[in-house]
Amino acid sequence: MTKTIRLVSSFALACLLSSSVASIAVAAAPVCAAPIKVLAQPRDGLTLLENYQDEFKALSGTTFQIDYLNENDRRAKSRADASTVGNFNVYYVDEANVALFADSNWIVPLMDYYPAEYDFSDFDPGRQKVATVNGKVWFAPLTGGGDLMVYRTDILAEAGVEPPTTVDELMTAVAKLNNPEKGIYGIALRGARGSGANVWRWMPYFKGFGGEWFVDGKPAFNSEAAVKATQTYLDLFKYSAPGTQTGSWDESTGAFLSGQVALLIESTPLSGMAVDPSYSTVVDKIGFMPPPTPLTGGGYGHGLAIAAKANADDTSKACAGLFIAWATSKEQEQRRLEEKQFGELNRASVMSSELFNDIYGPVLGKALADTGKVTAVNFWQDPRWPDLGDRWGIILEELINGTRTDIKDGLDELEAYANDLLKK
Amino acid sequence: MFKRTSLPYAFLVPTVSILLVLSLVPTIYAVVIALQDRELSQAGYSFIGFQNFIDLFSDRRFLNAVMVSVKWEVVTVLATMCVAISLGVALFEYTSTRLRNFYCLLFLVPVLLPRVSAAFVWKFAFHPLYGIATYPLRVITGMPVELLSNPHTALYVVAFVDVWQWGLLFAVIIVKLLETLPPQPLEAAKLDNAKGWQVHLYVALPMLRAPIISLMFVKMIESLRSFDLIYVMTRGGPGIATETLDMYAFAQGFIESGKVSYASSMAVLMMVATVVVFTLLWKRAQ
Repeated sequence: MTKTIRLVSSFALACLLSSSVASIAVAAAPVCAAPIKVLAQPRDGLTLLENYQDEFKALSGTTFQIDYLNENDRRAKSRADASTVGNFNVYYVDEANVALFADSNWIVPLMDYYPAEYDFSDFDPGRQKVATVNGKVWFAPLTGGGDLMVYRTDILAEAGVEPPTTVDELMTAVAKLNNPEKGIYGIALRGARGSGANVWRWMPYFKGFGGEWFVDGKPAFNSEAAVKATQTYLDLFKYSAPGTQTGSWDESTGAFLSGQVALLIESTPLSGMAVDPSYSTVVDKIGFMPPPTPLTGGGYGHGLAIAAKANADDTSKACAGLFIAWATSKEQEQRRLEEKQFGELNRASVMSSELFNDIYGPVLGKALADTGKVTAVNFWQDPRWPDLGDRWGIILEELINGTRTDIKDGLDELEAYANDLLKK
Repeated sequence: MFKRTSLPYAFLVPTVSILLVLSLVPTIYAVVIALQDRELSQAGYSFIGFQNFIDLFSDRRFLNAVMVSVKWEVVTVLATMCVAISLGVALFEYTSTRLRNFYCLLFLVPVLLPRVSAAFVWKFAFHPLYGIATYPLRVITGMPVELLSNPHTALYVVAFVDVWQWGLLFAVIIVKLLETLPPQPLEAAKLDNAKGWQVHLYVALPMLRAPIISLMFVKMIESLRSFDLIYVMTRGGPGIATETLDMYAFAQGFIESGKVSYASSMAVLMMVATVVVFTLLWKRAQ
């Protein structure tokens, strides 16, 4: 009898153990055969993500490795890699090059491999729009937004200047606020070449003044609007902080956060950094407003896309899709919010949460809502945009540093270049 | 007899074969690509003859890049040699052996720094608001000094960093070369009442002519490979003020347009020009 009981209990235990193992195996359901290689640009959210390697390994059965390069280098390397060897499973793409990557078949449509339970529809609709080219979604957002005018309440109050609501008021205010003797500069702009650098900050003036890149398939940017936008940008540059003439986001926001700039119009992540003591020396002296009219906010979005070449089979693509879904999930965004990584938030559920309101308050929330109304896609949504935008970036940088002075001549040169591009 | 004649071939054939494969294959490939219209974003391509080369000569950025490259080469090579010879002679003439060895060790440090690290360090040092290198000028003028954003000074600032790395290394080499010279000719010159600088200018340095020319050629080749330094410090800017040929080729191939054939045509032209110029200079130096 004892023997029988032992036999039965052993059998039951064996069944229990085997079913447990089976259920663990089902739960883990490793879909990945090899570690995932990601080519990205530095983001606090991705650095935070690296602390959770074990979580992803338990989920997928593999690990991931992220290589970081700054924006311009990341764009150059990802283009070279995607068109040749295909070493990376996941590319960090952005609004400027997603059309090129999609059109060249260097990335695959994301939704074919994006697990439904991660709820893509929760992403901010504006960012979903930027990630969509030719009716297909190509990346899951890591960051994005529009523009905000961020200003120093103390400096404006001391100078008796109201926050400008129009470009004319902006010009007057910046000139009045500029006081280099006291180490305060009126504004901080981007001078460094690049479709995502100086051209990005110039485009709100161009579009705001009524400029268009192409009309009926023909270049239309060589216009009064472009001349006026460029002249305005150059006039404002007289009051821009030192180092910004050949600088970009880092230099202009760095000058502001270190307390040397009265106001600037920049991408929305700056607003979160400006009220975070770990970034900013001026946390208690900050005000937010939408950009002065008629400026359009520069709508943008960066995110992760599935590489075509490195993921030759469906299993690899599914693995990359799982990584992207996990890396941009609600849980990860919640962790980023807890770490006050404002610029890394993209999901409606997170940005409307009580914790978000507790951390950033209603003023920033209202400014974000207001600026959403003027946020627009300012660039030419075409695979050839990086080429055209970068060419204008060079000419604009020459105009900013004075090695060329004729704006119309610069636009003529760009038009000739655009016509060559269209012929191909 | 057979053994005596075949041994050199036994050593030469494998090494020369490897060299040929490693150098000729990419060179031929570059020439072939330069005759096509390949772009990274397009799978198809065709042969277009010398069209890329013809286009280059109406491209203002290419012509500017040629001028910048020539200026960079002349400035960095001459400045490096001047600094190296001046410092080398000064160390040899005015320091004790112990102190000289200490300076030699110190002068080796800059070149041991990775090029990119050195570029970042100096880029920050020349920052108009926070830079330590611009601090004295800020104190004197009371205004920030934008040396890297100024098209008239940017190239020279980057050249300064290049000379800081290589001029000091070459100074150490010059000192060591001076130490190897026989003392008799120098002493004879001193007995003839030659001044210190005359001893070096008319006796010591002419005796070191061959190694100094070799050093100059090494620097000329090194200066052609300064892409990383310029890229980190200015990215070719402001505007195109520091855009050298290799940088423009890289921009066309990978950063801006993805025109690998156009970029390749620049590389081929650069290779041909370098070979011709270096051969002429080498023959003249001999």
